[in-house]
Amino acid sequence: MRRFTPGRPASTGLLFALLLALPVLVGVAYAAAGSVGLAGAGARGLTGAPWMRVLADGGVHAGIAWTLWIAAASTALSTAVAVALAVAFRGSGRLDGAARVLALLPLPIPHLVAAVCGVLILGQSGILSRAGAQLGLVSMPADMPALVADPWGVGLIAALTWKEIPFLALVAFSILATRGTQLEEAARTLGAGPLATFRHVTWPVLWRGMLPAVVAVFTFVAGSWEAAVLLAPSDPLALPLQIMERHTDPALARRGDAFVLVLVALALAALAVLLHERLRARWQVLER
Amino acid sequence: MTGPRGLRWGLFTVLAFTTLLPFAVLVAASLGRGWFWPDLLPPDFTLENWAALLSGRGRLGPAALSSFGLAVGTGLLAVAVAFPAGRAMARLGGWRRHLAAGAAFLPVAAPPLAVGVGLQYSFLSLGLGGTHAGVLLAHLVPAAGYVSLFFLGIFAVHDDRLEVEARSLGASPRQTLVHVTLPALRRPLIEGFVLGFLVSWAQVPLTLLVGQGVVPALPLEVLSLVQAGQDARAATGALLLVVPPLAVMALAGFALRDRAVVVA
Repeated sequence: MRRFTPGRPASTGLLFALLLALPVLVGVAYAAAGSVGLAGAGARGLTGAPWMRVLADGGVHAGIAWTLWIAAASTALSTAVAVALAVAFRGSGRLDGAARVLALLPLPIPHLVAAVCGVLILGQSGILSRAGAQLGLVSMPADMPALVADPWGVGLIAALTWKEIPFLALVAFSILATRGTQLEEAARTLGAGPLATFRHVTWPVLWRGMLPAVVAVFTFVAGSWEAAVLLAPSDPLALPLQIMERHTDPALARRGDAFVLVLVALALAALAVLLHERLRARWQVLER
Repeated sequence: MTGPRGLRWGLFTVLAFTTLLPFAVLVAASLGRGWFWPDLLPPDFTLENWAALLSGRGRLGPAALSSFGLAVGTGLLAVAVAFPAGRAMARLGGWRRHLAAGAAFLPVAAPPLAVGVGLQYSFLSLGLGGTHAGVLLAHLVPAAGYVSLFFLGIFAVHDDRLEVEARSLGASPRQTLVHVTLPALRRPLIEGFVLGFLVSWAQVPLTLLVGQGVVPALPLEVLSLVQAGQDARAATGALLLVVPPLAVMALAGFALRDRAVVVA
């Protein structure tokens, strides 16, 4: 009887990968053509004007910096909370189980819903403001400090953090469940206290394992439009909002600028893909 | 390290409050009548918003149906593309596997807004702008990426000895797929469909750009209601957006419990 052995059709796998990436590559090519005046509604022939305008625009610099601040702050906060939850509720007791269910509950909730909740809770007539009124701290909605569309993006960071904690907590819980215990027990046996064990064993294991997920969250948050449109201020204007604003501008000449910004956003995402794959590969090597 | 008991209870209380408050606020806003500042709770309750939704009055109901159809279509197509893609990519080794995983990750990592702006003209020139088919294909871009990465993970650890045996016993590739592979992977297939469904269900920028405001979708309606200050109807729509994901999560939890019982 002939024994069948599955082959390794490398070309098929790579062709599928190309098919998946193709729409993004077409989008990049179109945006690249649009950014130099060769495509798009405002195209008037080859020109470097959109690049010059965008690169010289202080509002763009501020918008990119603000977007990176929001992404960094939300990612750092959600990582810190996820680690705290994973360390505190990793056991097998009822409280641990209930905490894990609660921590993961917002995992599948759309970002838009998190942003709507942000408006209803943190807005100047939201729940927080009403609670302040009940306590006599706020006498009218305008007294409430602006947490929505505020310059520091407090409301946006809060909503994004709430939304991203479950994903990072899920990763942190599974890392501790599969990799942490034995090393920690070894450290304890060798005389390390709880704090030293956390610092030298738990944290490094968690951090290394969580890095790809942390990079993914940062990228996702930086590119999120629907949360920013409800919770971000108009000055500085977040990068995704700048793209949409220029893309829908009645002045067709400004639409070329949107393509430049699209390329900037995609370059950030591509950097993240490279970093993600590098970290994942390194982690896989460490796992062996 | 579990920490002192009091600290754990304190952390649990904060976790429960911050996790559940947003849901409670949505329910209260959706059911409340005449709920004005500075009332902390609605003075009166009404089912008016839900009755309007269920009777098809207003735009939320049709938008929800449209979104549901798009999400089901995206889920099915994503599985149809991602199942063979994940399997083929899992057979790659070394740098090829990394390259393929990176390529599949690209539509996941690329902001949908950036992809949408880049693809909009292509869709318009193909006559797909402002159509359900166009929006479905646009949703498929990130969904196929997510589901392919999911199937790459599944096939990377999948034991294909049964398929090898079937082929050795003379089954054709099609027979092996239909009678061995697909039944063995029924659960990942359902999970892949759900993943594709959820990516489409929550999608905003791609729907807006490719649908051009003509194709109704629940997230777009919720967005415009919040921007118009219609909090009660926005909260109703937002709760409707939450129902399928939470139902899926609950079902996944039950399924895992069932499996644990079987294994035990």
